[in-house]
Amino acid sequence: MAESPTDVLLKGNTGRNTRGLLRFIILATIAAAAVSSRLFSVIRFESIIHEFDPWFNFRATKYLVQNGFYSFWDWFDDRTWHPLGRVTGGTLYPGLMVTSGVIYHVLRFLTFPVDIRNVCVLLAPGFSGLTALAMYFLTCEMSTSPSAGLLAAAFMGIVPGYISRSVAGSYDNEAIAIFLLVFTFFLWIKAVKNGSIMWGALAALFYGYMVSAWGGYVFITNLIPLHVFVLLCMGRYNSRIYISYTTWYALGTLASMQIPFVGFLPIRNSDHMSALGVFGLLQLVAFADFVRGFVPGKHFQRLLTSMIVFVFGISFIGLVVLSVSGVIAPWSGRFYSLWDTGYAKIHIPIIASVSEHQPTAWPAFFFDLNFLIWLFPAGVYMCFRDLKDEHVFVIIYSVLASYFAGVMVRLMLTLTPIVCVAAALALSSILDTYVFVSNGPNPRSKANDDSPSEGLRSARKPEVGITSYLSKAVMTTSVVIYLLLFVAHCTWVTSNAYSSPSVVLASRMPDGSQHIIDDYREAYYWLRQNTEHNAKIMSWWDYGYQIGGMADRPTLVDNNTWNNTHIATVGKAMSSREEVSYPILRQHDVDYVLVVFGGLLGYSGDDINKFLWMVRIAEGIWPDEVKERDYFTARGEYRVDDGATPTMRNSLMYKMSYYNYNSLFQPGQAVDRVRGTRLPADGPQLSTLEEAFTSENWIIRIYKVKDLDNLGRDHSNAVAFEKGHKRKRATKRKGPRVLRTE
Amino acid sequence: MKLLSLFVSILCIIPIAFCSVPDKDKFERYHSLSRFAPIELNDSSYEDITSKPRDYHVAVILTATEARYGCILCREFQPEWELIARSWNKGSKPDELKMLFATLDFSNGKGTFQKLMLQTAPVLLVFPPTVGPFAKVDDTPLRFDFSGPISADQLYTWIVRHLPEGSKPSLVRPVNYMRLVSGVIILMGAVTLFTVLSPYILPIIRNRNLWAAFSLIAILLFTSGHMFNHIRKVPYVAGDGKGGISYFAGGFSNQFGMETQIIAAIYAVLSFSTIALAMKVPRIADAKAQQVAVIIWSSVLLGMYSFLINVFKAKNGGYPFFLPPF
Repeated sequence: MAESPTDVLLKGNTGRNTRGLLRFIILATIAAAAVSSRLFSVIRFESIIHEFDPWFNFRATKYLVQNGFYSFWDWFDDRTWHPLGRVTGGTLYPGLMVTSGVIYHVLRFLTFPVDIRNVCVLLAPGFSGLTALAMYFLTCEMSTSPSAGLLAAAFMGIVPGYISRSVAGSYDNEAIAIFLLVFTFFLWIKAVKNGSIMWGALAALFYGYMVSAWGGYVFITNLIPLHVFVLLCMGRYNSRIYISYTTWYALGTLASMQIPFVGFLPIRNSDHMSALGVFGLLQLVAFADFVRGFVPGKHFQRLLTSMIVFVFGISFIGLVVLSVSGVIAPWSGRFYSLWDTGYAKIHIPIIASVSEHQPTAWPAFFFDLNFLIWLFPAGVYMCFRDLKDEHVFVIIYSVLASYFAGVMVRLMLTLTPIVCVAAALALSSILDTYVFVSNGPNPRSKANDDSPSEGLRSARKPEVGITSYLSKAVMTTSVVIYLLLFVAHCTWVTSNAYSSPSVVLASRMPDGSQHIIDDYREAYYWLRQNTEHNAKIMSWWDYGYQIGGMADRPTLVDNNTWNNTHIATVGKAMSSREEVSYPILRQHDVDYVLVVFGGLLGYSGDDINKFLWMVRIAEGIWPDEVKERDYFTARGEYRVDDGATPTMRNSLMYKMSYYNYNSLFQPGQAVDRVRGTRLPADGPQLSTLEEAFTSENWIIRIYKVKDLDNLGRDHSNAVAFEKGHKRKRATKRKGPRVLRTE
Repeated sequence: MKLLSLFVSILCIIPIAFCSVPDKDKFERYHSLSRFAPIELNDSSYEDITSKPRDYHVAVILTATEARYGCILCREFQPEWELIARSWNKGSKPDELKMLFATLDFSNGKGTFQKLMLQTAPVLLVFPPTVGPFAKVDDTPLRFDFSGPISADQLYTWIVRHLPEGSKPSLVRPVNYMRLVSGVIILMGAVTLFTVLSPYILPIIRNRNLWAAFSLIAILLFTSGHMFNHIRKVPYVAGDGKGGISYFAGGFSNQFGMETQIIAAIYAVLSFSTIALAMKVPRIADAKAQQVAVIIWSSVLLGMYSFLINVFKAKNGGYPFFLPPF
């Protein structure tokens, strides 16, 4: 065999170095691709924070940077949830803000003059590069094939399921949490494999970081105990498991209790009880294992086993009794609604109302994962071939996460990492088989092919490898085509679906040029510049964070939704008649009311479409005063046109949305472009509010709450009087009076 | 003459007296009709029980439980209604607060349904008392329309809210001892069975292929949107308006039951061919057979994937990509 120049590079010691270098370059390229594919929104629009929650995180980060860590920790925010306020420092996951604060200060220290906003905007893409790296490490633990890790990293870098929550500007907890999730799992697998306290402690450390960053840490809290439990059931107890789990649990629980928002939950909440239970079980099993070494008697061993089962059963019953009697808090609502899928709709409408808590239809899976979705089961199947401890982990994770992703759209995010691992395992095994040039089995994939007798049926015969070049060519070409298609799909999805800031809307002009609809910011800046610094703004909770972040004005409710009654109060004010709403507005010091109206533009995410949720949530608290049925016509339709029910037409929300809308059109021609209906010829009349601002495309409408009348009249009288006075035709203006008396 | 007027006035007083002083036993009479369960009414007793004056609350559910009326809601709610009546009658409550629970079935009370012009069932009417400490000036009954299946707790809170202040008995669901006992017995039986049969069962439980099959089926179910069907209760298939069947629902966030099964099957075929290509084919010793197998499996893979993309394209109009055969 002649020595070719490439052989010098690819064999022996030099070869190892070359491969290491190549791997490094590939990983760097993947990270670069991951970052750059998330920059669509920055390039198209500008460096701006997206959506709703990120605005709060941004505001909190600014507070942290300005006032320092300790005042951030003790932050009481009196500018939200007026008049209650919110103990923000104790009710948030500080990981995200602290991370970007640290990055900001480090960059400042290195004399980079960065703005905190740019740190926040680019945090998610930056961490996605790290996620790809963590994914490489995790997958390398699963497979001996060198290509699996790289494939998984590449998948993770560009898969839309992850990009959806990590584009530039999407400054949310998930931005760093997915990296922490993957990395914690990597450290855990490492700990289980080596039985090392160091890896276990590292896993606990990153688990603590994860707890500080995202409420989804509960997933780890339950998955790792489940992994250990299944391993115990499989009779695979050994000291490695004992060491790694006890280290992780003890340190990780202590670490998680340092977060004020979590506090004593790990020992008081049912969500965390499986971790505690498995910890106890592991001690028993370890004790039995220890004693067994000294006592040879078969009877005694049986006695021991039954005693352990007995003790475990007793403590399990004790746990159940404690949680029934209320010492241990029951499952948290969000977590419980994952198991009992009808629960949220009945008991917690506020959870059911959020669109990302809806179940997932199949196109969403394909949209977010493309061909990984069918490589995924194949990869899971291949995990059954070796079925080492780490493969058990992959299998449990896969089944659980696919269930969760099916129940809730947003949990697609936790499914994505394991799909990437499994798909990479499947694809790498195909590539290793077919791309290998010389005939015969690939020697590198030999390591794990010791075919145990109890193995999978498809893996019983010895592997002989692919003999014909045609087969290799066919398979290699098709895999390359699928991969290219995947890349194209990911880019298309990212660019079309996941890169819109939703604060700024883009549309196309007839000539194809882009037209930016910037109503939100227009309205928020109007508020910022034209209202008192302490003017209270009432809006539906969706816009609370944005008003706080962009307009810097106090709000009544926001996306934190910690107080259902307060939200229901706002819902009641929005859905009642003016006479009922006005006292509510006065009692809550409301100066301005903000509504979102998409009728002119055809923007479907507006308040009239969300209105029924306001009604429902208000009905939950005041079932006598607000009734959902009253907003539907006799035939059960939700209408805004002539056929709308009187309750609907007199509700504050309806009036605010359509006030003066007629004036845009010819008489009787007013059309709502979202609902696709023609509106009544006479628009609604407002007496207790006055229009303060309407944005360019009418998306945001702001109303000022009138002060009490100078002469002590009620507002409808005052309005009627003024109108009559101006036009000197009081008789014609009796319309609203009739309306009022009914 | 005087006598006559006196007689007339007495004559007048008697009905008034009869009117204003309610028939004291009416409550007792109906209450004794059935001790705990709701009272079964017909047209005449309905008139009687709701006639003025009354010194008690009465809650009547107008329902149609017989199978021929096809009112599933009525039949589903009936046990819940009985539970409410039972809880009330057994529980402790203030003495002066009298309340009757009654049921008027459509088969016994067609006249009443017509009189009230009821188009739907069930409907709950709560009549407040006209005399006594809790009398209301406005004696029109409160009406509760059932908009969908609700539980006894929800309806009971509604009723309690419209009753005067004071302590009310809480809703008590009877403990189903039968179920408890049978549960324990079944559990013990299962444990015994397992212990006895363990030499036969353990190999099955430890069978890797079985677990692999379970996991794969679960994953395929969940990733093809089964939970969506379960939660949203989507139809299995729907007509396309031209007499045919449309297997695929229009729209990105919509699906039919059958559609998800087709998708799950497609995923399964794709996964299986991947497994075959990665694990089975390299183990075929005969070169010819291997060549054929590779070509067959890779064309299955290509065809299925292309079909999948085609289906997805139909669901998502703007999707620009495709794969040749379809």
